[in-house]
Amino acid sequence: MSKDDSSCGRDSCGCGENDETADESFHPMGEDYEEEMREMLDDTEYDTELGMDMAEDAMALIQGEISEAEFHDKYNEAVVEEFDVDDRPTVDAFEEMNAEEDESIFKKLTGGGDIADKLAGLDADTSQSRRDTMKKMGAAGAALGLGGVASAQGGSSDPKDDEYGANPVGDTSDEGTQLGMVIDLNRCDGCLECVTGCIEENNTSSGANWMYVLSYEDESTEQENFLVRPCQHCTNAPCEKVCPVRARHTRDKDGIVLTNYETCIGCRYCQVACPYGVNYFQWGEPDTPFDELMGADGDYDEDSLKEMDYEQRNQLLTENNDHIYDERGMWSDSRPPQGVMGKCTMCPTRQDGHSGEEKQGTVACMEACDAAGMSAIHFGDVNDPESRPRQYMRQRAEQEFARDTELDNGEQWGETVTPWAKLSAFKLLEDLGTRPNITYLGNQPGPEAEQVEGPVSYEQIGVTDNRKEHLDQYTFGAGDD
Amino acid sequence: MSSRTPSSDDIVRPMQSTSKWYYVLFGVASLLALVWFGLWSIQLSQGLAVTNLADWGSGGGVTWGLYIGAFIWWVGIAHGGIILSAAVRLFGMKRYLPVARLAELLTIGALSMAGMYIVIHVGRPDRIVTSVVQAYPVTVHQSPLVWDVTVITMYMVMTLTYLGLTVRYDLARLRDDLPDILEPVYKIATLGYSEAEDEVIERIVWWLALGVIVMAPLLLHGGVIPWLFALLPSMPGWQGAIQGPQFLTIALTSAIAGVIILALTVRRAYDWYHILTDDVIRGLTLWLGLFSLLFVWLQLQQVITGVYAAPLDQRTFAAAKVTAPAYQFAIGVVLIALAYIFAQAVRPSIFSVRRSLAASVMVLAGTLTEKILFVFEGIEYPTFSMYANTPGEYFPSLIEIGSLVGTIAMCTLFFMVILKVVPVIELHAIEELRGEGHSAPGDDD
Ligand code: SF4
Ligand code: SF4
Ligand code: SF4
Repeated sequence: MSKDDSSCGRDSCGCGENDETADESFHPMGEDYEEEMREMLDDTEYDTELGMDMAEDAMALIQGEISEAEFHDKYNEAVVEEFDVDDRPTVDAFEEMNAEEDESIFKKLTGGGDIADKLAGLDADTSQSRRDTMKKMGAAGAALGLGGVASAQGGSSDPKDDEYGANPVGDTSDEGTQLGMVIDLNRCDGCLECVTGCIEENNTSSGANWMYVLSYEDESTEQENFLVRPCQHCTNAPCEKVCPVRARHTRDKDGIVLTNYETCIGCRYCQVACPYGVNYFQWGEPDTPFDELMGADGDYDEDSLKEMDYEQRNQLLTENNDHIYDERGMWSDSRPPQGVMGKCTMCPTRQDGHSGEEKQGTVACMEACDAAGMSAIHFGDVNDPESRPRQYMRQRAEQEFARDTELDNGEQWGETVTPWAKLSAFKLLEDLGTRPNITYLGNQPGPEAEQVEGPVSYEQIGVTDNRKEHLDQYTFGAGDD
Repeated sequence: MSSRTPSSDDIVRPMQSTSKWYYVLFGVASLLALVWFGLWSIQLSQGLAVTNLADWGSGGGVTWGLYIGAFIWWVGIAHGGIILSAAVRLFGMKRYLPVARLAELLTIGALSMAGMYIVIHVGRPDRIVTSVVQAYPVTVHQSPLVWDVTVITMYMVMTLTYLGLTVRYDLARLRDDLPDILEPVYKIATLGYSEAEDEVIERIVWWLALGVIVMAPLLLHGGVIPWLFALLPSMPGWQGAIQGPQFLTIALTSAIAGVIILALTVRRAYDWYHILTDDVIRGLTLWLGLFSLLFVWLQLQQVITGVYAAPLDQRTFAAAKVTAPAYQFAIGVVLIALAYIFAQAVRPSIFSVRRSLAASVMVLAGTLTEKILFVFEGIEYPTFSMYANTPGEYFPSLIEIGSLVGTIAMCTLFFMVILKVVPVIELHAIEELRGEGHSAPGDDD
C-alpha cells in the first residue's frame, strides 16, 4: 500500500487503484464492502476517488501508520475544493495545538493516538466522540462507513443501535417485558413527593424509604443536583445471586426484582451485596400491622392462593384490591413482616391489575411525581419502543438535537449524528455490571458527590431520614420510650 | 518440668475425680450461658431492632456487625484447629500429639458456636431449615452464604469422623477406667472394634488429614469463607484476592492461641505438666509467632496498597481503617505478642507459660476485634458513598456483646462436659511419650 505519496491530490491521484493488488482490500470488512462503498460514492455528487483514498488512509490512521496531521495535510486542499470547507486542523494548526497541550512522551512516540484511539475505542458509550470524529473526517469518510470500521476495530458493533444511534435504554434483559424507569433528573425539583407516595402505597416503616431522593453537591458543578433512587431492578442483580434461599428473585413476567416475604430468612446478604443501598430490613415490628394493609381483609393466605388456578386467584385478588400478594400468589408487595428484607418492588400488584386496569403500568411514586406536576419519573416496559419511558427518551433526544443543531448555526453533520448522542443519559454504577433498568437523564454524580440538605427536607415532610437514629430507641439497654 | 512417666491413669483422671474448681467454673459458665439465652429470647421476640444494626445507605447504619464478625472468628478457630491437628498427623509432628485432640475438640466446639451465630444473626431463624433446604439445589451454585453452610457442615462431619475413629482406640483400651454411667455411649462408640482395625483406621485418618490440609487453603478458610466478602464488587474494604490468605492466617493464629489457652488450663487442672510440657507450649508459642507475623504482614499489604495511590473508594476505606482506634488496638496487641515471641526465641530465659498465655489471650482479642471491624467497616465505606448518612456508625449493643460472652461460656461448658466423657489426650500421645510407639498395646494398668 502506498502512503508516502504526499502529493496525492484530487485529480492526479491514482495510487489507490494502481498499487492495490486485485484481491487485497484495504478495508477490514472486505472487498465487497469496499465495492459497495465505491458504488455509493459514485452515486453522490462527490469525488469517488478522493473518498476512497481518504478511506484507505483513514485505515492507515487507525493502525497508527500515519499521523492525524499527515492525514489532514494530505487532504486539506482537496477537501476544501470538493466541499468548500474543511474544519479539520492542518499540520500547522495541529502542531501548534500539540505544543500547547502538555503532550505525554508516550503520545508523541506513538504518533498522536488521537483520532486513531478514538476510532478504535468507539462503542455505544462514546457516541459523542463518534460524532466528533465524523465531523473531523468530513463527509467522505463518514459516507464510507468509518463508524463501522471503528466498531470492527474496537470489537463491538452495538446491537442497541437503532435509527437514533446507540440507544441508552432498553434491551437490558434479553427479551420480553422488562419494566424499568427513565428518570429525568433535570425535571426533578427535590419536592420528595415520590418518597411520600411510595410510603403511603406500601406502608413502609419509619426510615424505610424505598424511594429516596438525594440532593447533592458535586465539585464540578455549582447547580443543584438531584438523584432519584428507587431500586434499580438490575437484570444482573447481585442481591439475587447471593440470596441463600432464592427469596430475592426476578419475576419472569416482567423482569422486576422481588423478595418472597414467606421464605426470606433475613440474612441481609442481599443488602450487603447491593451496590446502591436500596434495601431496608424490617428490624422490628412493622409500623403498620398486617391487617391494615390493602387487601389484608381477604379470606385467603399464601397457601390457599397457590392452590387456586390463575384466573380464580387473580379475580379474587382484584376484587379485594389486594396489595399484598402478586398474581402468582406470592407475598411480595407492601412492607415486609418482621425479620424480612424489603425494598422498592415496582408495585407488582398494580402491574397485575389488582388495583384496576387504570393502575396497570403505573407506580405510586410516578403518580405522585406526575401529580406534583414534575413528571420526572417515567415507568414502563423499557424493551417496548412505544412505552412511556422510551417515548419520553425519544422526545427529549429530539429536543436536545433540535436545540443543538440550532446553536451550531445550521451546520450539517450528515446522518451519522444521532439524537441519542445529544442526550446526557447514564445508569448508576454501570461499570459494576449490574445492568440496572433505571436510566437517568441529566448529570451523573461524580466520585466526590456528597448529599446535602435539599430544598425540601425529610423532616419537613415528616419522613425519617437517618433510620439508625430512629432504631436506636429499640436497642436493648438504650432506655426505651 | 517433671520427670514423671506419663501413664494412661493420667488421661482418665478428669473422668475419675472432680475438683471444687470444676463445679465453680461449671456454675459460672452455665450462668453466663443462661443469661445469654435470656437476652437472645428478647431478640427473638422483639426482632433485631434490639441490636445496634441498621440499614446502610440512607439509613446510616451497618447491616452486618458483631454477629457476622464473631461468626467468622469462630469458624477461623475451628478451621485452624482442624488444620493443626491434621498437620500433626500428616507430617508426623509427634511432639504435638498431646494437643491434637484438644485441637479437634476445639474445632467441634468452635464450629458449633459458628453455626449458632448463623441462627442468631438471621431475622427469621424459624425458617432457616425449610428455606435453605428447599432452594439448596439452585443456591449452592451461586450463593457464597450457602457455600459457607455447606463447608461448615462438611467440616463438622469430617471432624466428627476423625474424632470418632481415633477415639475408638482409646475407649477400647481404657474402658475399665471410664465412668460406668456412660457405658452405653462407649458401647456404641466402640461397636465392632477389634485391634485389627487399628491400622486401617490410621490410614483413613491419614487420608482425612490430607483432605483437610489440601482443602483448607483452597476451599475452606482460605476460600469459601473470605469469598463471602471478597466477591462483592461494591464494598472496597472487602474486595480483593488478599482476603483468602488473610483469613487463613487469622484462622491459624486464633486456633493456636486457643489451643495454648486450653492446654495450659487442662495441664494445670489435671497436673499434666509431664504430658503438655513446657517444650510443647514453647513450640506452640513459636508457631503463634509465625502466623501472627503473617497476619501483620498481610495487614500491612492491605494498608499500603490502600493508602498510597489506590482508587478513591479504597483509599477512603484504608484511611478510615488505620485511624480507627479498634484497628490500632487489634494490631497493637498482636504486635506486643509478637515482640514477646521474638524476644523469647532469642533469649529463652524470657519464656514463661504465663507470658505465652497472655500473648495468646491478646492475639485472640486482636483477631476478634479485627474480624468484627472488618465486617462493619466494610459496609461503612461502600463504593456508592454519596449518602449523607454514609459512613454510618456502629457499636455493638449489650445483646450483641452478650452473645460473645454466651458463646464463650457455652464453648467452655462443651469442654467441661467432654472432659468427663472421653480422654482429651490421646492414648497414642502417652505411648509416644513413653517411647512405645503406636502399635504397642496400651491396656496395661
Ligand atoms: S438495585 Fe440493589 S436491590 Fe435492586 S436489583 Fe439491583 S442489586 Fe438488587
Ligand atoms: S435477607 Fe432475605 S432476600 Fe435478602 S439475601 Fe437474605 S434471605 Fe435473601
Ligand atoms: S416503584 Fe413502587 S415500590 Fe418502587 S419506589 Fe415507586 S412506589 Fe415505591
